[in-house]
Amino acid sequence: MLFASALVSGLGLGSMYGLLALGFYITYSVSSTVNFSQGSSMMLGAVFAYTFAVTYGWPLAPAIIMALVLCALYGVVVERVAIRPFALRGSSAWLMATVAIGIVADNAVLFTFGKEPRGFPMPLASGSVQILGIGVSPLQLAIPVIGLALAGLLHFFSRKTRLGKAMLAVVQNRDAARLMGINVSAAVSLAFAVSTVFAGVAGIMIAPLFNVHSDMGTLFGLKAFAVAILGGITSAWGVMIAGLLFGVVEGLITAGLGSTYTHILTFALVIVALALRPNGLFGRAEVKKV
Amino acid sequence: MTRIDKAAWRRRSVLKLGAFAIGAGLALPALAADPIKIGLTTALSGQSARAGEAITRGLTIAVEELNANGGVLGGRKFELIRRDDEATPAKGVIAARELVFKEKVAVLFGGLDTPVSLAIVPIMNQAKVPFIGPWAAGTPITKNGANPNYVFRVSAVDEIVDKAMLQYAQKNFNTKKPGLILINNPWGESNEKGLRAAMAAKDVKPAGIEKFESNDIDVVPQLTRLKEAGADTLFMVGNVGPSAQVVKSLDRMGWDVPIVSHWGPAGGRFSELAGPNAKKVHFVQTYSFFGKQTPVGEKVMKALMAKYSDIKGPDDVTPAVGVANAYDAMMLVAQAIQIAGSTDGDAIRQGFYKIDKYEGLIKTYVKPFSPKVHDAITENDYVWTQFIDGKILPVGMVK
Amino acid sequence: MSVSGTMPRLGLLPTALVVVCFLGIAGFAAVANGYYVFVIGTLALTAIVGIGLNVLLGLTGQVSFGHVGFYAIGAYAVAILTTKTDIAFWLALPIAAVLAGVTGALLALPAVRVKGPYLAMVTIAFGFIVEHSAVEWRDLTGGQNGIMGIPSPSAMGIAFGERGVTLLAILIAAILLYAFWRLSVSSWGHAMRAVKDSETAAESIGLNPVAIKTVAFGLSAFCAGIAGGLFAPLSSFVTPSTFTFLQSILFVLVVMVGGAGTVTGPIIGAVVVVLLPEALAGLAEYRLLFFGGLMLLVLWVAPQGIVGAAARLFGRRAAAWNASAQAPVRAGALHSQRRPLILENLSISFGGLQAVNGLAFTADPGAVTSLIGPNGAGKTTVLNMLSGFYRPDSGTIHLGVQALERRPAYYAARAGIARTYQTSQLFGSMTVLDNLVIAQSQGRLGVPLFRAERAARRDAVLRAEALATFVGYRGDLLRRAADLPHVDRRLLEIARALATAPAALLLDEPAAGLSREDKEHVGKLLREVAVGGVAVLLVEHDMSLVMGISDHVVVIDAGARIAAGSPQDVQQDPAVKQAYLGEGARAEVAATERRAPGERMLEVGRLTAGYGAEPVLREVGLDVREREMVAVLGANGAGKSTLMRALAGLHRPVTGSIAFQGAELGDMPTHRVVAQGVALVPEGRQVFPELTVLDNIRLGAFLRKDATDAELDELLERFPRLRERLHQRAGLLSGGEQQMLAIARGLMAKPKLLLLDEPSLGLAPAVIAELFRVLDRLRQEEATILLVDQMAGLALALSDRAYVMDTGVVAASGTAAEIAADGALERAYLGSS
Repeated sequence: MLFASALVSGLGLGSMYGLLALGFYITYSVSSTVNFSQGSSMMLGAVFAYTFAVTYGWPLAPAIIMALVLCALYGVVVERVAIRPFALRGSSAWLMATVAIGIVADNAVLFTFGKEPRGFPMPLASGSVQILGIGVSPLQLAIPVIGLALAGLLHFFSRKTRLGKAMLAVVQNRDAARLMGINVSAAVSLAFAVSTVFAGVAGIMIAPLFNVHSDMGTLFGLKAFAVAILGGITSAWGVMIAGLLFGVVEGLITAGLGSTYTHILTFALVIVALALRPNGLFGRAEVKKV
Repeated sequence: MTRIDKAAWRRRSVLKLGAFAIGAGLALPALAADPIKIGLTTALSGQSARAGEAITRGLTIAVEELNANGGVLGGRKFELIRRDDEATPAKGVIAARELVFKEKVAVLFGGLDTPVSLAIVPIMNQAKVPFIGPWAAGTPITKNGANPNYVFRVSAVDEIVDKAMLQYAQKNFNTKKPGLILINNPWGESNEKGLRAAMAAKDVKPAGIEKFESNDIDVVPQLTRLKEAGADTLFMVGNVGPSAQVVKSLDRMGWDVPIVSHWGPAGGRFSELAGPNAKKVHFVQTYSFFGKQTPVGEKVMKALMAKYSDIKGPDDVTPAVGVANAYDAMMLVAQAIQIAGSTDGDAIRQGFYKIDKYEGLIKTYVKPFSPKVHDAITENDYVWTQFIDGKILPVGMVK
Repeated sequence: MSVSGTMPRLGLLPTALVVVCFLGIAGFAAVANGYYVFVIGTLALTAIVGIGLNVLLGLTGQVSFGHVGFYAIGAYAVAILTTKTDIAFWLALPIAAVLAGVTGALLALPAVRVKGPYLAMVTIAFGFIVEHSAVEWRDLTGGQNGIMGIPSPSAMGIAFGERGVTLLAILIAAILLYAFWRLSVSSWGHAMRAVKDSETAAESIGLNPVAIKTVAFGLSAFCAGIAGGLFAPLSSFVTPSTFTFLQSILFVLVVMVGGAGTVTGPIIGAVVVVLLPEALAGLAEYRLLFFGGLMLLVLWVAPQGIVGAAARLFGRRAAAWNASAQAPVRAGALHSQRRPLILENLSISFGGLQAVNGLAFTADPGAVTSLIGPNGAGKTTVLNMLSGFYRPDSGTIHLGVQALERRPAYYAARAGIARTYQTSQLFGSMTVLDNLVIAQSQGRLGVPLFRAERAARRDAVLRAEALATFVGYRGDLLRRAADLPHVDRRLLEIARALATAPAALLLDEPAAGLSREDKEHVGKLLREVAVGGVAVLLVEHDMSLVMGISDHVVVIDAGARIAAGSPQDVQQDPAVKQAYLGEGARAEVAATERRAPGERMLEVGRLTAGYGAEPVLREVGLDVREREMVAVLGANGAGKSTLMRALAGLHRPVTGSIAFQGAELGDMPTHRVVAQGVALVPEGRQVFPELTVLDNIRLGAFLRKDATDAELDELLERFPRLRERLHQRAGLLSGGEQQMLAIARGLMAKPKLLLLDEPSLGLAPAVIAELFRVLDRLRQEEATILLVDQMAGLALALSDRAYVMDTGVVAASGTAAEIAADGALERAYLGSS
């Protein structure tokens, strides 16, 4: 029973990590940079959705869509403000700049949205269904499904659509992509927009199970980075699988030893895993070019 | 003065102007010459920002009331200066030092984090400036072994709350085997100690002691272990968000068990966060703005509604304990200064001991402090409450 | 110039300024109130961590987001030792620092195996583990509430108090700052910079990057440990919540804002990171918001750090020091031990592809051995095995009697194998002199912070100067290597390789991109090196160079040896002609009637472009008319590819004009150039390897809305091989098929002007013939084409007109027949008479 509940909650959390980590994967593939405050993007998704759905009383669907549109805009802003000025000059200061923009976002929300954590009611989240002798909320079951569906959608988008293939082209060879007439800097912006939208989805999904406040994303963002790295940041499915794995291992450690050791053990496992596989669990080792 | 120092000064004054220009809602009223500076160092950003704001509001209402009534010491008014400690002791001690040594505050109020307050205590005893805790409940803050001791508190004390929790559970739920579910932070750890001591004194063996993180979505594993160990009551210690996670997890498990809690749920909209079963939680309070109010209560409520546009009624005064404790503490400070006849730290300390009676928000304080007693709130001042339909009501008021 | 001026000295003025600042701050700390004292103490501690982190981040180029972990270890060690044992602070502090340092070296074990974001993650995880261990190891650490009441240190019965600890912290910060400077000018410091600039090149001069990074981690953690050890008594408490991830970020910010790698950067960074929040304290809850915003602002203004930016603005460069011709290394003075390099049965494969197969030959000392073969034959792979970067699957490598096939690169380098790279890998941030001095160390770096004896240093510098002179470098020895022009980089790389006193010197296309005179110079140089007793192994495309200086030539194709012998033997070998020189490849150009060329379509005027200060194109002018096929010819490095990239918009900025049907392309980005109707089929094919052939072709029509399936069909009829492979990944195609795909992809854009850059490069003769048939058909269909190709004869056969480029300028132009008849072309282009 403990095991089953660890599994269910681990899969749910894991697919959240996976979604956030996919965001890291997308931007890293296209631009070799990541938004270190991905947690803030996640928080913004939840905050926007809450604002439209609860404060303004919109129906859920348009509220979520509007929230994701704003998330995409935020992603574009992050890229323009905190990534591009530095990446263009070959400086790695974007590391710090994205942290800074995250601090600004968190605090701006603190003063506009409010300092109290708020509950986000959602029909799916209430009630519980019995599975394997344990009660879980329908949303908990839906999260992995939605997570995997989004990962699948990303896969479909990149393999089957013109725009998706253009993105893949940018990933594989920037100059050649330019020669096809692809606007590479727009593609990078798009990557950041998609990345924050994924984070936003994760935030909206977790909000009803958790709560909405300006600080809610910080730890998730960090763990998602661990997941992205663990999966080998260059492999989409690797990242998603690593997310699920991370979530389940976390759940099992919590179930077996209590949550006090979860952080110590999971992060220690990350170090061990990277020591054994320096390119992540599913990353391809690159042939050293000399 | 060295160059750096001057530069820092210049920058600071520029930035201060900036701060006022922002019109930070809390801009202080224009004051007569030579005001008495009151310092506050607490978390104003991050997860605990709301609690910091509650303390700010309680102090502000009290300061404005005092100033409107002519201040103390023959017309000297109070000025509140706040610093964000970001909930970390290292920031807290810098802020405390700045307020004490540079701003030269007469008294300093602390925030809600026990470790921050504990880190500040030695500085205050050394600088001989009174330090008043309106929130942090860690026992050693006031019982710090210093003599003379400059630390006072108008708030709950974990050790006493923990005793009261056990007593309440035994009396109302006939608790034999409590399970502890505690937030993994300094506050949770302090209560683990207190609850262990309380249980040992009554010869009660816990079913288990489980911790959870403030970001845990799912507390089912921990609760399942307590359930399997045969817990008949839960003792819960956690801030409002995490406490709601416990209640929601219980819902999913379908485990109906009495919950006796520290005052965490009062820190916000617990009903909204935890759902319908929020009412199952019985928690301790020092004060509730719901129900029939004393004249002081009505006065404060009115002042709050007038001052803060987001306060429409008692539901919006969260966490109420922060507001109430801070208000009473500030009033007691004013009395101590009036009695002391000066803003000298030691004189104020002596002044606290000489306070005879103060009709406050939480209660009527009668000789609240003495050299042996630095805590104004005693176990008789706790009320047991429930969240019913978004309102904090004394237990038993609604069935 | 005298040798004493060779090691960087502390400039008198900046040194005095730093000393005065330190004394001023210390003086202020001695009298200021409890607040300022504490702030200055915090500032000093932050500076100490920053100085340590600068060793890692600034010198070695490794990022750590977990330094708060070492800081915490230092703080807890002192807290625990001074409160729970009788150990005094004065002993506890060094114990704490060493403990942190050792932990740092241990963390380096997993950390040096990973790079970039992976390294960031390992360090983040470490920080978290330390923070949470401090929470959970309650008996020792006091759990969440930490340890309070840490006594302040005392000496001779006088308690230090916070003022004393602050003064002590300032003193230690000053000492460590001096130590950092010593380190940064010592062999270790240079070795760290070398690892940062090019790990590969560092290995190939005998430096062991793992050892160097481990030392950097250890030193850096040691400093953080000291700072933590001072934090404990300064604040008199330690709690886990003091040591959060955000604090680690702030430590990195200290180094980045100040200027990574600069000596005083961390001090300035600490001033900003510590004092800025204090200046903002009055903002109360809005402080973090403003801090975040200001942080962004500082990064925008000075992304390379404040000290770095200031140095660029106000910095004076040291006086130039040109290598004199007084002490050239005599050929014999290379003091090589004359050992042959012997390969036997060497094989390696990558993912099923046999890159090198059973290769055997010997490079004799005192001789130049050349390894030649078509592109992709496995030449560079052989060099990589010989220098220890790849481990062969089978076979042996001996230098003299020493077996090297299972040894890492730095070992091979120390054993006597030196090499250069296709794209030169100098230590760009170091001076020419330092590049040559560190290469002499052979990995023997001595004790960190302690410089070699004066005499040894003098010898190293003299030898460096002599080597620079020997290779013909006449520039400033104190110039940053990254700022050197191309030819000097080539020369310097050879000098650096020689500085390791090698028995064998491997060169990977040393003449690529050089002018004819420079090539001749390199050829002579290599002969001289060989005469000195070194076994020279040369991989080079320039045949006249190879044939001119080699004693022995080995020809490989597809990883296997197909011929070996003297240059004359090899040149006569039919297999070689067939495989390499493209003999026998003849395109039958159909004699068809074509309409006369139309309007001027492309007009290039005074086009100038380059990399850095050196223009590669100088005022190039050319034009292309409608329905014309125009060839651009010229030697390697003449600027042909840069011209094509400039036309397509990949190379920006350019000056001069590129007029295309009334539009000015010179300031357009590539995707807008493409939209104008100009398509470039780039050099090296550059297909999208993970996409299918079909997707590659379709992407060619990315900007077109009107592309039809019929059009696709027609295109595939032109390239029947592609139709067979339509659904395969493009990366799996052969080189020839990839080239066809690249052209098909370019045609899919329906360009008005098609630019072809070296389409025949690296293709087998039969494939080249097929390729030219394709081009001929396009010509007959009256497409407008600008073609760059090494196969000058074939290109001329197809073209209407041609331009000949030499070192960035147009040297000749005319009809194809005129150019073909001109002997100058042959000399310029083919490099032989």
